[in-house]
Amino acid sequence: MHRLVRGALGAFVIAFGATSCGDRSGDAIRVALITNGSSDFWAIAKAGVHEAERTAGVSCDFHMPAEANAEAQQRLIETVVARGARALAISPLDSDNQVPMLDEAAKALHLVCVDSDAPRSKRLAYVGTDNVAAGRAAGSLLKDVLPAGGRIMLFVGRMDAQNAKERTQGIREAIAGSAIEILDVRTDLGDPAKAKANVQDTLAAHPDIAGLVGLWSYDGPAILSAVEEAGRAGKVAIVTFDEEDAVLAGIERGVIAGTIVQDPWRFGHDAVLLMARLARGEASGVPASGILDVPVRTIRKADVAAFRADLRQKLGR
Amino acid sequence: MIKNLGILVLLIAVCALTAWQEPRFWSAYNVGNTLSWTGLHGLLALGTAVVILTGGIDLSVGSVAGLAGVMLPWTIVRLGWPPALALPAVLVGAVGIGVIHGLLITRLRLQPFLVTLCGLLVCRGLARYVTGDATIGFREADAPLRAIATATPFSVAVPGLDAPIAIPIAFLWLIAFALVLAIFLRRTIGGRSLFALGKNEAAARMSGVATSTWTVVAYAVSAGVAGFVGALLALDVNSVQPSTHAQWYELYAIAAAVLGGCSLRGGELSVIGVVLGAAILRVLYNAINILAIPTQLEFAVVGIVILVGAMIDEGLRRLTSR
Repeated sequence: MHRLVRGALGAFVIAFGATSCGDRSGDAIRVALITNGSSDFWAIAKAGVHEAERTAGVSCDFHMPAEANAEAQQRLIETVVARGARALAISPLDSDNQVPMLDEAAKALHLVCVDSDAPRSKRLAYVGTDNVAAGRAAGSLLKDVLPAGGRIMLFVGRMDAQNAKERTQGIREAIAGSAIEILDVRTDLGDPAKAKANVQDTLAAHPDIAGLVGLWSYDGPAILSAVEEAGRAGKVAIVTFDEEDAVLAGIERGVIAGTIVQDPWRFGHDAVLLMARLARGEASGVPASGILDVPVRTIRKADVAAFRADLRQKLGR
Repeated sequence: MIKNLGILVLLIAVCALTAWQEPRFWSAYNVGNTLSWTGLHGLLALGTAVVILTGGIDLSVGSVAGLAGVMLPWTIVRLGWPPALALPAVLVGAVGIGVIHGLLITRLRLQPFLVTLCGLLVCRGLARYVTGDATIGFREADAPLRAIATATPFSVAVPGLDAPIAIPIAFLWLIAFALVLAIFLRRTIGGRSLFALGKNEAAARMSGVATSTWTVVAYAVSAGVAGFVGALLALDVNSVQPSTHAQWYELYAIAAAVLGGCSLRGGELSVIGVVLGAAILRVLYNAINILAIPTQLEFAVVGIVILVGAMIDEGLRRLTSR
C-alpha cells in the first residue's frame, strides 16, 4: 500500500507541483527554485521570480512540493537535475539532515539556499532573512505595546522548523530583562483550525494573558478570530508574522499591534538574479559572507495602506 | 446503550480529571469552544460512520472538506458569486464527488480504499491547483454567511458555571444531523437497508435490497457532510490554506466512528456512540492545552487514552455477555 501511496503522490507532484514559469524553454539558461511547501508567501516570491526571469533572461522552474517533507524535496531535486537546470535555489525543510542531499545536488549545479539556510552544506550563498532579527523585531514591538510586561504565549506549526527556533530565540533575546515572560509555545502541525483551538484554550486557561504571538503566517488569523470571538479585542496584545489579508485587516481595526514581514518578492527576485550570474560564471554577485540579507519590516497601523498597495501591485491583483 | 457505556465513562473521567486539576476547564467559554469543535468533528465522524456501516471506508473526507473550504471563498471572493449561490453549489459539488466514489465502487467494483484514496489525492490536488496554492479567506465581506459557522443562537445556564454557555451553531448542526440520521437509520426502510447491506451484502441483495443504490447514497452522504464541514471550517477560521485545510481529518473521523462502536467490517453504527467518540477526542485536545501538558506529548496522550477506552469497552462487553 505504501508503494501505491508514494507512486500516486509522486505522479501528483509531477502533474501539479511543478509549474514551469518560463515561456522561453528553448535556449534560455534554465534555473529552478524549490520551496518548503505552498503558501501565499511563495506566491509572492513567484511574482519576484517572474520579474527576475525577464530582466536576467533566464527561465525558472518553480516547484512547490505537495508534501512538506525532505523526501518530496529530494524527488524535486532529482527532477530539476534531470531537466538540465544550471542552478537551483532551495528552501531546505530540515537543513541539518539534508546536508548530504544538498551536497550531492551541488555537484551537478550551482546551489543556493533561499528563505532557510543550510550553512554546513556546500551551498554557494543564502538569500533570505535573518530570522533571529525578525524575532527581535517582534520582541521589541511586544516591549513597546506591553510596557508593564505580562505573560505571553507563542503559537507555531512546528518547533523543529529552523525559522520557528530562530524567531523564538530572537523574541527571548529582545524581551530579556523586561517584565514580559513567555509562558509556553503551543504547536498546531500546520493546521489553522488547531491553531485557533490552541488560542481559545490559552484564553480559557489564562484569563490574565497579556500577549499572543503567531510565529507562522496562518497563526495570525487564527489568533485574531479567537480573540475577537471571545470579546477580548484590545485587551490582549497580538503580534504576528507575515501578511495575510485577515492580519492586515486586524491591524487596521487596531486589534493586532503589528506584524513582522519578510520580503518574499525579493527572495524570489534576488535568488533568480544570483542564479543567473552564477550560471554565467560571474562570481561577482556572491558576497564574501555568502549571505544576501533581506531585512524584515514591522508593519503597524500607519503602514498598512501603503504596504497593501505595494503587495497588490506585485501580485498583479 | 451498554455498548457506549465504556466511552461515556471515559469521557466523564477525562472531564472530571481535567476540571479537578484546572477549574477553568469548567468555564462557559471553554465548554462553548469544545462544543463547537465537537460539532464540526462529530459531523465528519457521523458522515464517515455511514460509509463504515456499509462495510466501506472513506479516506477522502479531509480532502473533500479541504476542496469545499477552498471553493467557497474562491467562488465568492474571486468569482464574485453571491453566497446564496456559492454555498449550495459547493455542497452539490461535494455530494457529486461522493456519488462518483459510490459509482466507481458499485459499477466498476473497485475497492473503496483505493477509490477514496484517489479521491483524497485528486481533491487535494484540485484545491491547490485552483488557487495556485495561495491562502484564501473571505476578507470582510461575508459576515452574514460567517454566521452559519460562528453564531451562538442562544445560551443555556448551567449550575456551577461562571456564566451561561453560549451554544455554538456548529454543535446545533451536529445535533440536527444526528437526530435526522438516527431516525433515518432506525425508522425507515433506507436505514434498514444500510444495516442489512453492511451485515451481509449478498444476503441483502438476494432479499431485494437495492445494495448498489444505498452504497452510492452512503458515499454521497459522507462527501456532502465533509463539504459542509469544510465550508464551516473555512468560515470559522477565515484563512484557508489549500494544502493543509482539514488535512488528515478523515483519520479523526474514522477514529471517532470506531471509538463510538462502529465495526470496520460493517453492519454496526450507534449515532450516540459516534458523537461521544468525536467529543472525547476534542475534550482530550482541549484538556492537553488547558493542563499545559507539553505540546509534543499531544499525540501520545491521545493514543493512550483511545487505547484505554477500547480496553474498557471490551472489558465491559465481556462482563455483560456472561
